[in-house]
Amino acid sequence: MRFRVERDEFTEAVAWTARSLPSRTATAAQQQVLTGLLLDASGPGLVVAAFDYEVAAQAKLEATISEEGRALAPGKMLAEITKQLPAAPVEVWTEGNGLVIACGNARFTLRTMPVEEYPALPPLPPITGYIEGGAFGAAVSQVAVAAGRDDTLPVLTGVRLEIEGDVLTLAATDRYRLAVRTLKWRPESPDAAGVALIPARTLLDTARSLSGGSVEVAIALGTGPSGEALAGFAGNGRQTTTRLVDGQFPPYRKLLPDSCPLIAAVEKAPLLEAVKRVALVAPKTAPVKLAFTEDHLELEAGSNGGEAQASETLPSTYSGPDLAVAFNPAYLQDALNAIDSDQVEFGFASADDAEVAAKKPAILTGKGAGEGEAPDYRYLLMPIQLNG
Amino acid sequence: MRLVIARCSVDYVGRLNAHLPSAVRLLLVKADGSVSIHADGRAYKPLNWMSPPCVLTEGEGLWRITNKADESLLITIEEVMHDSTHELGVDPGLRKDGVEAHLQVLLADRPDAIREDLTLVRREYETGIGPVDLLCRSGDGASVAVEIKRRGEIDGVEQLTRYVARMVEDPGLPHPVHGILVAQSITPQARLLATDRGLATVTVNYDALRGLEPSIPTLF
Repeated sequence: MRFRVERDEFTEAVAWTARSLPSRTATAAQQQVLTGLLLDASGPGLVVAAFDYEVAAQAKLEATISEEGRALAPGKMLAEITKQLPAAPVEVWTEGNGLVIACGNARFTLRTMPVEEYPALPPLPPITGYIEGGAFGAAVSQVAVAAGRDDTLPVLTGVRLEIEGDVLTLAATDRYRLAVRTLKWRPESPDAAGVALIPARTLLDTARSLSGGSVEVAIALGTGPSGEALAGFAGNGRQTTTRLVDGQFPPYRKLLPDSCPLIAAVEKAPLLEAVKRVALVAPKTAPVKLAFTEDHLELEAGSNGGEAQASETLPSTYSGPDLAVAFNPAYLQDALNAIDSDQVEFGFASADDAEVAAKKPAILTGKGAGEGEAPDYRYLLMPIQLNG
Repeated sequence: MRLVIARCSVDYVGRLNAHLPSAVRLLLVKADGSVSIHADGRAYKPLNWMSPPCVLTEGEGLWRITNKADESLLITIEEVMHDSTHELGVDPGLRKDGVEAHLQVLLADRPDAIREDLTLVRREYETGIGPVDLLCRSGDGASVAVEIKRRGEIDGVEQLTRYVARMVEDPGLPHPVHGILVAQSITPQARLLATDRGLATVTVNYDALRGLEPSIPTLF
């Protein structure tokens, strides 16, 4: 194998794929090969790949190949070397058991790993449709924030992606909150349909790396070579395939109310600042209390006789009974960060009974999209019961 | 895991030089890349070894193992009596009993399980002679030092007595200062001594604590 590539393109491709290398040091000998990065110059172009049996990342770049072939190089080492290469074209070739990297006057020889032992990478399933990278990245980060991080409930560590014609619906929940985002996309066929539960961290990483510039992302749902369900994302010469999370995502749609009898609207940025300030005095999981009165919202945290206490008052648009509701401040901040609007609306379940409204989940959305139209981003948040 | 039994001599070249004269020994090559040389004794302790990351190069009658610090282990092999490789898979690891530490974490989240009116001020409160497990506040504003043990014995009572004595001297803490010894079980002697010292004792059920429903309501 022998090829010549541009330094920056090579560095970027290697750094991007290296992020999918297995993080923990593989102990079993058969997994040793997975710590390697595959350089595939069987042409056209060069493919750099990493695979940990869950996620496969491949980056394609232009290369002048003078001798076709494949090689497996120690991944971390290769990534560190390419980061420090001088600004000059890079020439890479195999020499016996070694991989030589020459750039400018610098020359490295790495011991290669047995490339024939490297597992076959799952191919990208047939493409289901396309979406603009920036929009997809933003939507994924709005939803992934609500995904569970606890591996004891694996189903909740995924983001559910549902395709119904030209509408994509993303949903995630950790039981304390639920985030749902709908957006338009361009399906390959007008009656495209499908559901996939994608590991939230992988999806977030992938969507972020494809969100730069005006990249168009292809989404592909299908099955891999051994019949396992796969999701694939491709754009800008990069491609990620990931195994799906097994299991049934909770039937979340029935949790979302059709309409909210009671709505309070608050300016988002000042509220976010206030929550951050007030939450300083609340111990780890202690709530921040929001007391809505006619035209005012008072935030309160900490307790009488506790170490500290804080409160802050903000203007709000509200007309209903006096209502006190408490939320986990971190979850509330996540919602405010995710909502893409100047105003946030809290929708409560009852307009007459303040006690019911404070006990049932509240729905947080951006400024109303219009009558009878569901907002494209909804964040359902379970209140914490106030004592006494 | 590769096991080799061979008559060999070993030279170590690095920060210090060492030589093992020719004898029959066990050579272990593990999947992490490490190589160790064992005699028929000294339990788990090898005579010499090289930790990973290191590289093993096998030549004709000579193994050379080198690491990043440029130290090397040279094994001159005269005769191989046994050479086999076994796939052990991933080891589940050693499980230690972390009940006491876990109890502290659980009770820090649910101080009301010790006594209903308690709220947590902080974990591991430094008294100057060691940290008390939990510093809590009672409903009437008093400070409460909580020492958590798996089994409540005389030692635990003595320890808590010293902490409380220190904390009484601390003007920064709200007074009065009480002490509670919390354990899964408490010996009658410890109970008696605690009462004499004016300390309370509480037994908690670890399994029940672990299975406690989270106090945070969920959507479904």
